[in-house]
Amino acid sequence: MAAEERESPRVMVWDAPTRLVHWLIAALIPFSWWSAHNDHLPWHRLSGFTILGLLIFRFIWGWVGASTSRFRGFVAGPARIRAYLGGRLGAYVGHNPLGGWSSLAMLAALSLQVGLGLFSIDEDSLEPGPLAGLVSFDTARAIAHIHHLTFWVVIALVALHLCAIAFYAARGRHLTKAMVTGRAALPPGAQAPKLAPAWRAGLVAAIAAAIACFVAHGLKL
Amino acid sequence: MRSPRLSACAAALLFAGGAAASGLTGVEAVKARQTHMKALGASAKAVGEQVRGGSPDLTVVKAEAAKIDAAAKALPSWFPTGSGPSSGAKTKALPLIWTDTGGFAAKQHALAVAAAKFDQVAQAGDTAAINPAFHEIAAACKSCHQTYKAKDED
Repeated sequence: MAAEERESPRVMVWDAPTRLVHWLIAALIPFSWWSAHNDHLPWHRLSGFTILGLLIFRFIWGWVGASTSRFRGFVAGPARIRAYLGGRLGAYVGHNPLGGWSSLAMLAALSLQVGLGLFSIDEDSLEPGPLAGLVSFDTARAIAHIHHLTFWVVIALVALHLCAIAFYAARGRHLTKAMVTGRAALPPGAQAPKLAPAWRAGLVAAIAAAIACFVAHGLKL
Repeated sequence: MRSPRLSACAAALLFAGGAAASGLTGVEAVKARQTHMKALGASAKAVGEQVRGGSPDLTVVKAEAAKIDAAAKALPSWFPTGSGPSSGAKTKALPLIWTDTGGFAAKQHALAVAAAKFDQVAQAGDTAAINPAFHEIAAACKSCHQTYKAKDED
């Protein structure tokens, strides 16, 4: 396998925007936890707004980004999952059918986590989320409790993700390196991913930042 | 002149009274306290939204300030003896409230002072003073909760 990888051409599998979003979210999840637990709520909010922007970017990028970043490319149906588990899938680049669902699950859990945070408030009404004004104090407190609980869903999915990376590493496939450099060997018979132009990433980033700022200001300009 | 024995008797009676003196069982007292605290939190939230908005609606601020002031004055009666975790009710009120009575009274006093001042500036319509006065109330809430309330379990 190693010899085969060396012979295969190395191609850009994960485009730069996808990698940047991935690593920023990976850094901001522990930072969000830390800032909440150490009573740095202004930092916690800022971290949440940044993750919100990254998620919006990622969801749009899932439609217009590189072929390996598009949901259409990696959200697999039951037939593909069965083929993968049975070792009959053949050559592919990017997410395998299980990895695709794992990514989608993490994006969904993070969206829920950020969404709940927007409506949360602390018991002293000192640190409301930007949308807490739309709900009552009791509701905002209940949402804050759910926000605490759903963090465990995020933790569980991240743990599963790390276990999967370790599982593939033990079998000689180093996924982390590809997420750093973007490059991986192209298996024989697989098509090289189609990348998206840089201007498109810039445009999507501007849209995502604008939406995130609008939400962070309590749906006011 | 009061005899020491009489004072001791009065103290013992006060102590034994507790929840029973307020006419509520321990569990009822916990529920009543939670209702009062939620109302207080709702008032703080309403004021906070006005204050943060930049142009506070003084009618809202005045009404909530009066409620907060009344609640802060009544708050010492929300903690009768026997309304802690020993009541069997689910409560985050720590037993320390009833052992460190002096420290707890100081926190209540700090809130009462902050609430009175906030009510005063609110009723006077002193918009410049409303924001800092409100933050003193929120700080008083937080300071007491940090010592005498259990953290959220998660």
